[in-house]
Amino acid sequence: MTVIENRRVRSVMRFGIPLVLIPALVVTGAAVFGEKRYLLISLGVAMLALALFAAGIEKKNIGSRRMVIVAVMTAMAVIGRFIPLFKPITALCVMTAMYLGAEAGFLCGALSVLVSNIYFGQGPWTPFQMLGFGLIGLFAGYLSLPLLKSRVLLIGYGVLAGIAYSMLMDVWTVLWYNGSFDGTLYLTAIVSALPYTALYAVSNVGFLLLMRKPMGDKLGRIKLKYGV
Amino acid sequence: MRRFHDSNPAAVALYYLCVTGVTMFSVNPVIISISLLASVLNYCLYAEGGVKPHVFSAVLLIVLTAVNPLVNHNGMTVLFYLNDRPITAEACIYGLVTAGTVVASLYWIRLFTKAMTSDRLLYLFGRLSPKLSLILSMSIRYVELLRGRWRRIRDTQRALGLYDDGNPIDALKGSARVLSILITWAIENGIITAESMEARGYGTGRRMSFRMFRFRSSDAILVIVFIALTALGVIGIGAAKIVYYPAIGMDLTEPVSIAGYGGFAVLSILPVIINTKEAVRWRYLRSAV
Repeated sequence: MTVIENRRVRSVMRFGIPLVLIPALVVTGAAVFGEKRYLLISLGVAMLALALFAAGIEKKNIGSRRMVIVAVMTAMAVIGRFIPLFKPITALCVMTAMYLGAEAGFLCGALSVLVSNIYFGQGPWTPFQMLGFGLIGLFAGYLSLPLLKSRVLLIGYGVLAGIAYSMLMDVWTVLWYNGSFDGTLYLTAIVSALPYTALYAVSNVGFLLLMRKPMGDKLGRIKLKYGV
Repeated sequence: MRRFHDSNPAAVALYYLCVTGVTMFSVNPVIISISLLASVLNYCLYAEGGVKPHVFSAVLLIVLTAVNPLVNHNGMTVLFYLNDRPITAEACIYGLVTAGTVVASLYWIRLFTKAMTSDRLLYLFGRLSPKLSLILSMSIRYVELLRGRWRRIRDTQRALGLYDDGNPIDALKGSARVLSILITWAIENGIITAESMEARGYGTGRRMSFRMFRFRSSDAILVIVFIALTALGVIGIGAAKIVYYPAIGMDLTEPVSIAGYGGFAVLSILPVIINTKEAVRWRYLRSAV
């Protein structure tokens, strides 16, 4: 039943997707549709990238304890999306990544989008959102040591994550509306999304500062107590 | 009676991928009109939601139509000048078509969201990777579990008199405390779940899974029909020649394109056709008894 359980398929995917499939998709897409249909191409690339991460995660041996905690944090992030205006989803992903590692951060980000979109609406934007939040978690995991040490860096990461995510989704908005990328439309989209970008950044920083101590204590204690 | 949405989730997902894909792929006004009408029909029949979504869609249609002529000044037929910038008829019409694309896709996507309940989503993603599907199913379950638990903790705190809604700072402190208790409980509970899983031998052998859905021969037929009709639609779109800028030139009535429109129209009302057929058969069988 499983595609990626097979080790050989997995290794083929890990090299085949970035080296063969994505370039092939971009080149044939550009050749067949001209410049008009970036949306479909970029959607395909986003889905392939997610499949790549799925293959990589399957290879790593995440213990069952870590998996369950990722599931708990994902559920918390989903519930957090019901809070009006201020969303703690980035903060929770970053906390998960800092204490449980980059893969856990990626999973928490990507899956919380997938699950919460059951309530908020799935669509072609789902792969982009999954990739966006997944990458926020992933990079937080790679930077976990400096982020754990310095509060200033953590604030900077929250602001940066909010802006980067908003700009990524603006690219998607322009592609969806126009079919191809357009500089003026992108600027319009960025300007009209400014309040949301600010809201993202503010809620990221706010929740990160609020959660840093209590949440960090809890996760650190669990890590120490059960050796996750 | 096997309604359209009771088909295999993979087939249903493919269906929505096809209709949404053709809609987003096309700048052909005929295809967009068919898609918009059919999606609204489907939505009214199979997704209850009152008037609100339709009002939202109408407003979105108007706003998105207006955006294009405001930022795009290509086109030969100038209607009037706004701030010394020409507003052209071509840009308005192109804006209407793209707005139609977006609104029609939104309707299809909403229908897809209604059709893809969490068990179906799990069936689709579970095939990708067993670990991912486990985390996915656990987090779907935890959402409801944690919401229920949150309510219980909050009620307990209220009963203890620790939670004052009158004072905003107290309320905030109270909800922070509830959240803290919830997280502690959830993580501990998760660890216990993990221990229990390991004690029962998780990860020692091949995993089997309970599945609600089978891939029947009727699903295979559906998949073939979807792909054939989509291909017909795409070929029809390819045959029609449409230029928006600098002047509108359309050649929509090639025989191939008309066949393509027909194919896409059948594809987009396929759920209605199948459900009607099943309903008629059900009636007939019942009256035969």
